[in-house]
Amino acid sequence: MRHFTKTHLLAGSMLASASLLALASTAGAQEATFVVSAQNVGTPSYNPISGTQLNDAITLIFDRMVIQDADQSFHGQLATEWESAPDGMSWTFKLRPGVTFHDGEPFNADTIVWWIPQFADTENAFMTDAIESVEVIDDLTVKFVMKNPDPNLLSNMSSGFMSIPSPKAFDELGDDFGVTAAVGSGPYKLESFTVGQETVLVANEDYAWASDLSENQGAPHIKTLTFREISEDSTAFLELSTGGVDMLYSVPTDFLPRLEAEDSVQVGTMPGTGLFYIPINTTVEPFNDIKVREAAAFAINQQEILDNLYGGVGSVANTFLIDSLLSANVDSALKISYDPDRSNAVLDEAGWAMGSDGVREKDGTRLQVALWTQNGTEFKRVTEVVQAQLKAIGIGADITVFDSATINDQYRKGTDHQLAVRSYSWANADIIDWFFSGQRLGYPNVSMWNDATAEEMNAAAMKGSRTWEERVANFTTYHEYVLSQFVFAPIYQPVQIYAYSKDAISVPETVRGTRLQSQTVVDITVN
Amino acid sequence: MISFFLKRLLLLIPVFLAVSMVIFMIVHLVPGDPIDNLVQINSSPEQKAALAAKYGLDKPLYHQYAIWLGNALTGDLGNAIILRRPVADLIAQNLPHSLSLGALALLFSTIVGIASGALAAIYKDSWIDRTTMTLILLGSTVPSFWLGLLLIMLFAVQLGWFPVSGARSWDALILPVLTIGLGGVALVARVTRVAMMETARKDFVMMLHAKGVPPWQIELRHVLRHALLPVVTILSLRIGWILGGAVTVEFVFARPGLGSLLITSLNQRDYPVVQGALLMLAIAVMLGTLLGDIIQAAMDPRVRERIK
Repeated sequence: MRHFTKTHLLAGSMLASASLLALASTAGAQEATFVVSAQNVGTPSYNPISGTQLNDAITLIFDRMVIQDADQSFHGQLATEWESAPDGMSWTFKLRPGVTFHDGEPFNADTIVWWIPQFADTENAFMTDAIESVEVIDDLTVKFVMKNPDPNLLSNMSSGFMSIPSPKAFDELGDDFGVTAAVGSGPYKLESFTVGQETVLVANEDYAWASDLSENQGAPHIKTLTFREISEDSTAFLELSTGGVDMLYSVPTDFLPRLEAEDSVQVGTMPGTGLFYIPINTTVEPFNDIKVREAAAFAINQQEILDNLYGGVGSVANTFLIDSLLSANVDSALKISYDPDRSNAVLDEAGWAMGSDGVREKDGTRLQVALWTQNGTEFKRVTEVVQAQLKAIGIGADITVFDSATINDQYRKGTDHQLAVRSYSWANADIIDWFFSGQRLGYPNVSMWNDATAEEMNAAAMKGSRTWEERVANFTTYHEYVLSQFVFAPIYQPVQIYAYSKDAISVPETVRGTRLQSQTVVDITVN
Repeated sequence: MISFFLKRLLLLIPVFLAVSMVIFMIVHLVPGDPIDNLVQINSSPEQKAALAAKYGLDKPLYHQYAIWLGNALTGDLGNAIILRRPVADLIAQNLPHSLSLGALALLFSTIVGIASGALAAIYKDSWIDRTTMTLILLGSTVPSFWLGLLLIMLFAVQLGWFPVSGARSWDALILPVLTIGLGGVALVARVTRVAMMETARKDFVMMLHAKGVPPWQIELRHVLRHALLPVVTILSLRIGWILGGAVTVEFVFARPGLGSLLITSLNQRDYPVVQGALLMLAIAVMLGTLLGDIIQAAMDPRVRERIK
């Protein structure tokens, strides 16, 4: 027996290694590991209805009624057709037949009747606020009866928060839904979720209802997809360059040169959903004078910041909205774009004379202001450049850096701050309401701006629009008025940068949608 | 010995109370509000007030403390506001990772520290002594955050021996253990070296030499053994430091553990989790010190006498 062992062992191990190799290549053909955006690390749950922060994997587990392409056009996913009544007081949706949830439950009109009321009393209630009731027309047709017209409904429905869970699983799991398990109808099933660490997904082999934005109309190509959460950007970068992971969902701009230097790494960009800006506290000296606000706004050299800090990646911001939103198309005379002559002229006009040390003075008061920012290298760098740019027109600024969790409390006091460098991420014009409505002074209305005309325009834009076109027009008017009052200075629009290992996976050249979501991920193949 | 242990244990009660109060106060006095992180853009002040009431954040601070301490004593650390799970579950999930990382780092510091300290003491003033001590000094002065990245660059990126981050296989533990452990090596080595050199000058050692006991036997069996007492003291104090070091190291290596949990929760002002994790760290430090005391007492009767 013993003398056989060696040969057997050898043959056996060769066979084993051969089959291991074969296994590795098939396993390699089916598995991938992605890293979520750093801002999504620690997202507590996959409950779309009650969640206030959603992980990047949410659109893979759940489907939505409609989804958006990069140009913000709407495409059906669980809804095939939809129509709004001319007065905006009702919407009819035709539902896709043959859809089942991961637990085998069918998706139909009853699902929608159950689903909409779930939003009541949650943080996301505003999404469905305008819906009075849901009526069943037939098994695959529903009608939303509206309290008031809401042309933003489709946009809300394309958000990850309006992902549709399995009613049965949702009711059974209660508070544990999204924590211990999450059941949707999406291209992937949730296998395991360890908060702050990783989410493991397995392909839903029954998936046959991808939207027309995806080439792959069947089950996803990657069979086991792991999303890791890595807070430290350098660690994530090193994992990608050593092949530990296959894709990073989000890469900070300053990593771009290093990623581009890696042969095996492919970098992609898509339009961003964020904007850097400087809110100006309109209630405190000297910024209660609109002329000083105008001077500060036109002192910001957006192009210089884009070129020098961001290496030309991204774009300048000249309004409060990201370029892809229709309400960003304002009268070009109202756009705020670097003009130091204008700044100097209005300050002279307002009586602020240039002092000997380069800071202006008026009646013995120096034009020295507080400039706040939050911790983080990017914020500090932008703020330092802003400080220098303000100095160039004679405004001295003292920088204070706050912890990001603390700064909003400081804003709430409302009287201490003057200028601040902030950023937001939101792809809808209603962000103007959020940051400038007189209802929310201090924070989020850091500009402390409360203006009767603006409030009227706000009401018209938020509640008084019947159709999408009307809403766009109303928000454009509101946006233009906000710009004309110089309550903020726009700075920069980042792009979203993602990176992946060319050797490991193939990603469609064009990303469909405003973020990396299911419509693109189902088309990713493993090499 | 048992009465010594009990006395030591009793002494921990006032310490525990003081520590728990300090933790609670610090966490609540830091500006920032968990409710802000919990609500969406567009939510009303009423919704926020309702949430504050739901988590008991509307009650006076001393009242909140009394409730928290009372529950904590029964093992109930409350529910995480942001993470929406029982804090005890989160800690149970993360503590083993931190403990294994901390224990291995301590073990590494101890073995390598004592070995290199002894080597340096035996070959005092030679090139071995100087090289060991210089290397150790370098290792201990590098911040762990940077050291971690350096080790990743060398062993994971250049040599490809270990994974960059995570906790999916046993070998992912090696670089984090080195990162924390190297700082401890320096301290242990220096203390060992000094203690051994001092012991070497004692009368009984001269006696041994006079008796003709082989030098290596004197160094290892007699000098080192006597020199270990201060080393144990240093090591027991080191436990807290090592667990503290785990906080940054877990962050750099994207590992689960009390450290990552603490950082995530701190950024979101998830009070119950921060309190629970800090309390756990404090308890670990207290137990570590207790353990050190017991080992010391077991090794040296004088220590037992003092406490009586």
